[in-house]
Amino acid sequence: MEAKYDFERKYREQILRCSRCGFCQAVCPVYGATLRPGLNARGKMLLLKEVMDGRIDLSNELIETLFQCTTCASCTHNCPSGVEVSEIIKVARKDMVDIGSCHPAFTGMHDVLLHHDNIYAEDEAEDFGRGKKATARYVFFAGCVGLYRETEATEAALGVLDKLGVDFTLIEEACCAGVLEDVGFPMNDKLVETNIERILATGAEAVITGCPYCARTLNNKMQYAPLRAKGVIIMHIAQFLKDYDLGLHTDKKVTYHDPCDLGRHCGIYEEPRQTIRKLAPNFVELPHHHADALCCGAGGGVRGAYAKNSIDMARRRLKEVEEAGAEVVLTECNSCVHNLGNAKLRKQKFTICTTTQFIHDLMEEAE
Amino acid sequence: MEFQSYNMPDELYYEPNHYWVRQEGDLLVMGMDDFARKLAGQIVFVQLPEEGKAIKLGKKFASVESGKWLGKVYAPVNGEIAGVNEELETNPGLINQDCYGAGWMYKIKPDDLGEVQNLLHGTEAVQKWLAAEIEKFAKGA
Repeated sequence: MEAKYDFERKYREQILRCSRCGFCQAVCPVYGATLRPGLNARGKMLLLKEVMDGRIDLSNELIETLFQCTTCASCTHNCPSGVEVSEIIKVARKDMVDIGSCHPAFTGMHDVLLHHDNIYAEDEAEDFGRGKKATARYVFFAGCVGLYRETEATEAALGVLDKLGVDFTLIEEACCAGVLEDVGFPMNDKLVETNIERILATGAEAVITGCPYCARTLNNKMQYAPLRAKGVIIMHIAQFLKDYDLGLHTDKKVTYHDPCDLGRHCGIYEEPRQTIRKLAPNFVELPHHHADALCCGAGGGVRGAYAKNSIDMARRRLKEVEEAGAEVVLTECNSCVHNLGNAKLRKQKFTICTTTQFIHDLMEEAE
Repeated sequence: MEFQSYNMPDELYYEPNHYWVRQEGDLLVMGMDDFARKLAGQIVFVQLPEEGKAIKLGKKFASVESGKWLGKVYAPVNGEIAGVNEELETNPGLINQDCYGAGWMYKIKPDDLGEVQNLLHGTEAVQKWLAAEIEKFAKGA
């Protein structure tokens, strides 16, 4: 029988390969917050198998399970059968959107990006009190969260680059648009073209992003191939800073939260630690770290669509910060900072910020 | 007062970004009004500043979020934070359920209690302001 949906055409063999062992359940942040087996990877694979077998069909009833995934890739990383769950979910979401079944938050995000250049439908981005240079060696790409939500983190990153004497500029950036594909829509070509055109216009040799998701999108999506074809290198600021000897020091007990987009998705674990260990000899790992790190709960559109569960996932992560006894938790993702910051209880007295912001504050103290 | 399906109690004072203020002894109690509550949808996060934090009239001192919407909270008077509704930390939906009661947000110790008189107050003034706001947001402002 001919497959009805793309997810089956592309991933039938992988879905059948799921042995229902449940290793994914042990690491799924959505399951951890909800304790609902239908929401972990095994549950999702079973439902998709039912669709392939014709026992159920894709419909609005599957929105809650298929659209409630942070795409953190913990399941993929821990799957002994090698099932690429995040990729399967993305294609299944596209199939859902094609039949008109989508979470309203994601339909809303898609519609917003038809008329705005950012996911929040904000009219004006923060300009950080600086103009845009016509040309520069580097472009700093802040991302939507960095421009509209975690502006202090972005301001600090710009301040660090200034203090290091880096020749860089901001551009009138648009949303990188990667999130659209994650939630089942095609990437918005207009936004992509705007970014490519404006980055190339500066003559920059590299783009430094404040957001690991933007770095992934610019580095991996074929829509950004014209940018890469011009030789422009894309890196996250953690990669840019790792070789600097900043000459800074703190006695504080510092820990690090691996963002899924930088860690499991890009394999970048050591660069941030290299920088942090130089500043903070009193560095401790969280109970789950590197590829086993717990997700903050913000990814895959879950922060927007299932905010309460998203905050619950962040609170699980913050309990680990308490267990580690850290005074400062650093991370490399503005979305993680935002969600962990929203979830932090008043009795939890540790600080949450990006590594770059921490560096910036230490630089200011040293001056 | 009920105006075009919005409940705006007459005894309250209103800050133009849709937060209400009520005098309680030497303190002011502040929360989100019915118009903002309905516009925002399900509230998922309320920033609760530490007691003693100084606030300056018209300046942002906290934020509120519902999904992708972020609202800034501006100081209705000069003063300092005297208390916060800690229930909102784990149950921000109280604002949706009861924005004038259990969903109150902040207590403020004003430098000058008289500053509250500069806020919107009274049926006529509140109706005029709200009518303009309804029109503005209907146009997608």
